[in-house]
Amino acid sequence: MSAASVYVAIAFVLAAVFTYLAARRRRSPLGIDKARALMSSLDIEAFRNLVDPEEEAFLRSNLPSDEFKTIQRERAWAALAYMRALSHAALEFSRFGHAMYNSSDPRLAELGRQIVNDAVYLRLRALETSGRLFVAATFPNLTQRYPKSLFEQYEHSSGLLLRYGMLERARRQAS
Amino acid sequence: MTLWYKLLFFYLWIAPHLLLMVVAVLLLKKRLYTNFPVFTIYTCYEIAEFVLLLAMAVTGLNRGALLMPVYLVTLGISTALRFGVLQEVFNNIFREHIQLHALARISLRWTTGFLLATAVLGSIFAFAQTSDSAIADVAWLGRGIALIQCGLVLFLLMFSRLFGLSLESYVFGIALGFGILSSVELANWALHTGSLTDSMARALNLLPTGGYHVVVLLWLGYLVAPARKVLQPSDLPVGDMNQWNQELERFLQ
Repeated sequence: MSAASVYVAIAFVLAAVFTYLAARRRRSPLGIDKARALMSSLDIEAFRNLVDPEEEAFLRSNLPSDEFKTIQRERAWAALAYMRALSHAALEFSRFGHAMYNSSDPRLAELGRQIVNDAVYLRLRALETSGRLFVAATFPNLTQRYPKSLFEQYEHSSGLLLRYGMLERARRQAS
Repeated sequence: MTLWYKLLFFYLWIAPHLLLMVVAVLLLKKRLYTNFPVFTIYTCYEIAEFVLLLAMAVTGLNRGALLMPVYLVTLGISTALRFGVLQEVFNNIFREHIQLHALARISLRWTTGFLLATAVLGSIFAFAQTSDSAIADVAWLGRGIALIQCGLVLFLLMFSRLFGLSLESYVFGIALGFGILSSVELANWALHTGSLTDSMARALNLLPTGGYHVVVLLWLGYLVAPARKVLQPSDLPVGDMNQWNQELERFLQ
């Protein structure tokens, strides 16, 4: 195969990807219900335990090395499942925030701006934590430090969702 | 040259630039030049370049030695402006997200470095297969640039998608247009690096102009079409908002 045909093939693939992204953008729905369901399905306390450094230190000092590695791997994979859900929720949250952000009503736009910023930060922290958890699952002996700001961000984002939820409920009651 | 080919060739050369004039007018009318100054300059520049090349074609100057330098200079400026537009798209996407801006900037630098290395290595390894024609010499450079621009657009779209950043309609339209234009040019330049028969070269002449036509229509579409329906104030009357705020205060007490 000549170099030219390789480049032409790459060009076709790229054009197809751009077309796909444009088509998908048109169909992407607003996902507040999805985000809310995902956020409420998360047991953040259970997740906090899974990444608690004191818990990890306790297990490390009380378990034989092999058993600790096995358990630590299981804990890391379980925490990764939480992170996947949280990361997905942040994405839906961000999309919803963008929808509000474009509103010409300044109060809604401001709430939307806060939601988008929170969601982006939450997603960033979730991706960072996922990376660390993946390393922890692969090398269980390595001690990992998980960002505390993840939990703060989660609580803040949940608060914003709650605020929107209250507004929505009040609106329903009023109509 | 058959008559239909001539007609198609001139149509694909002239029509996109006429449509581009409409794009420029819309950019000025909607005051989008404040958010997209480089894109506005790019559209104006493309129109001016077209007028210059058309004038050269009409006066017969395009048959002399002047054509190649003019072509290369205009292509160079156009390429530089396209990179400028991509930077503008980047700024528009991440302007509001300070915490993401630094990460995006570093990732963009690494992506540019990687794409540059790929383009240079691709040119070195494929140099043996390049024909001796003058256009083939330009083609390997054009191919590398198209590859970098394609990669940058892909990076911008994928990175914003990774963080759920919903791009403003105009920003998405501009980026998408450049993505498609760069991929068409990548195919065009890649085919020009090889030896071409006259009929193949003629047919290939229609590819960039045809691609350009599609892209200008796309830009026009994104400029004319209203932005995606979102939460509009009509869905949320102001009276309701006051009531909600009272309800919220009651809930919080």
